[in-house]
Amino acid sequence: MPRRHLIIGGGTAGMNAMRTIREEEREPSEITLVSAEKPYSRMVLPYYLDRSIAEQHVFTTSAALLAQWKVKTHVGRRAAALDTKANVCTLDDGSKVEYDDCLIATGSSAVRAPVPGADGANVHSFWTLDECRGVIASVTPGSHVVMIGAGFISFTILNSILALGAKLTIVEVAPRILPRMIDDAGAEVIEEWLRAHGVTIRTNVKVTKIEDARGKKRVKFASGGDLVCDVVIMATGIKTNLEWLKDSGVRMNRGIIVDDHLRSNVPNVYAAGDVAEGRDLVSGQPALHAIEPTAQEHGRVVGANMAGKDVAYKGSLIINIVEVCHLDAASFGAWDDAKADTVVGAKRDRSAYRKYLFTGDRLTGAIIIGRSGDVWTTNDVGMLKGLVQTGVRLGRFKDYLKAHPFDVKTAYIASGTAGTLLPETVLGRPAKAPGETPVAV
Amino acid sequence: MKVLKITPERCTGCLRCEIACSYVQVGAFQPAKSVIRVSPFEGHTSYAPYTCTQCAEGWCMTACPVGAITINAAGAKDVLDDRCVGCKLCTIACPYGTVFYDASTRKAFKCNLCGGDPACVHACPTAAIEYEEVATRDWLHDFAAERASHVLATNGGRR
Ligand SMILES: Cc1cc2nc3c(=O)[nH]c(=O)nc-3n(C[C@H](O)[C@H](O)[C@H](O)COP(=O)(O)OP(=O)(O)OC[C@H]3O[C@@H](n4cnc5c(N)ncnc54)[C@H](O)[C@@H]3O)c2cc1C
Ligand code: SF4
Ligand code: SF4
Repeated sequence: MPRRHLIIGGGTAGMNAMRTIREEEREPSEITLVSAEKPYSRMVLPYYLDRSIAEQHVFTTSAALLAQWKVKTHVGRRAAALDTKANVCTLDDGSKVEYDDCLIATGSSAVRAPVPGADGANVHSFWTLDECRGVIASVTPGSHVVMIGAGFISFTILNSILALGAKLTIVEVAPRILPRMIDDAGAEVIEEWLRAHGVTIRTNVKVTKIEDARGKKRVKFASGGDLVCDVVIMATGIKTNLEWLKDSGVRMNRGIIVDDHLRSNVPNVYAAGDVAEGRDLVSGQPALHAIEPTAQEHGRVVGANMAGKDVAYKGSLIINIVEVCHLDAASFGAWDDAKADTVVGAKRDRSAYRKYLFTGDRLTGAIIIGRSGDVWTTNDVGMLKGLVQTGVRLGRFKDYLKAHPFDVKTAYIASGTAGTLLPETVLGRPAKAPGETPVAV
Repeated sequence: MKVLKITPERCTGCLRCEIACSYVQVGAFQPAKSVIRVSPFEGHTSYAPYTCTQCAEGWCMTACPVGAITINAAGAKDVLDDRCVGCKLCTIACPYGTVFYDASTRKAFKCNLCGGDPACVHACPTAAIEYEEVATRDWLHDFAAERASHVLATNGGRR
């Protein structure tokens, strides 16, 4: 009997796993997909929000393609319970799916700040396609949008809100923007830039209530100074979709604890993406990432292992990049490590900022901010990723980088980073192009 | 597969490769839009061209959330303009720093080996860039290490 793989969650990790199973398997297997939503990419939603792409563009597959991949689908259904002794998953309609091995890739959901009125009309989250449609329906040119939370997700949709012709106010309880992506000095550069581009930012303010106010919304703060607006978007955090696993015996911390093959404590149950607490490449410790590249790599590694290969995963690197009003900001690895040896470079007149964090003679974290038009910024973004990813020993070129923080290329090439990278692959073989239909056996 | 073989010692810094490249890539003689970059070393005393290695992993390709990067007939990773949404994930995923972003079109762009007949190779008067059936290497390593070391030795790395 062919091996039965069950994929729970058809987002980034789930899709990468299914494709890789089909690329790697030596004998035909059955794949069943259970997914609450039709497979699409969440990180593409901001481009649908401002209509620079059609809704169709967000989908990562189609029913026809899944049929070609010979995937049995239960789309629109949720997994409700997992019996890891009987190897059976129960869906929300009571139906059951048996499996030989299974992947949990149910991702995260948006969480709203627990204030009265948070679930009122015209208060939105922005995490799913449905929520994106909700925002599209409410924001019109001239609308005043108040975004609660100045984190990464707010920043990914900032350009789109402005492109829709809306007026934007961002409010944040922390003393500064992007608290989990950029350091204090970098945040200051971005804040200054945004103010100069017409975005109002209020930090250090705690929302206490959201009220209806004659067709508008009134956002109240502990410190006073209400804001009246048309639309509220709450980007106040996310949580992993794992409640349904509580009696399954799958061991969880903040996420599902996995080994270097992305296996949970139950050997035929894997986890990947936002829900998996896998190895962080820089610290070597278990970590929850909630970023696209981690979900992709996890998914591919699980797919290969499900298909019978033996692929150990080195760990994932935190990388984030966001562009706001033509200013790029990116951070890598342990960018907030207080123990690291640190160097900072700044060109205030060009809104350019660099921070490099070294552990010994390795680069273990970095922050880079620069105008999108500056080609060398784009170059350096990738090279910094390469330096942190390889952990190449910089030796004397560490001094070079410290003395010339805006000349990354010389230190990068001189330390042999490219040569270290060339043999490196995630699955132990060259990656296949996305257009190629995976070859089942 | 055929790759761009770079001999940095031959580069004179004339930028003809950049001009030819930008013409093929974006239809304008605009070095800023070139995907091969001539970099100065040791305070502009020497130069070397640097571009995508068409690496085996293709980090740019596997990172793209919408499958907008594919492999063309020449074996090069190629951005499909009508798929790319401009999210920049490939620019941060490529650990060689060789994916670019065009702010005017809001798309990523990168070396696609001109589909198998690279313009930079024709443009280079000193054969610093050749297109050959060889295993790709870290062509610039020794060249850059030597020059960075000079800088460090002459002024302790400070400018
Ligand atoms: C607006 C936005 C912008 C972003 N931008 C970036 C970015 O620029 N860079 C970056 O790195 N990351 C970004 N992210 C984060 C990135 O999208 C996620 O980290 C990634 O999608 C995680 O993939 P995943 O497969 O773990 O989960 P998801 O892609 O969330 O997929 C989970 C799937 O599981 C389904 N599901 C949930 N519960 C169940 C259940 N009980 N049963 C069955 N199915 C279920 C869901 O419907 C969904 O299909 C962004 C996210 C958003 C929302
Ligand atoms: S752009 Fe970078 S990641 Fe993509 S193929 Fe070239 S070197 Fe590899
Ligand atoms: S910028 Fe374009 S090619 Fe690059 S990852 Fe995003 S969609 Fe893909």
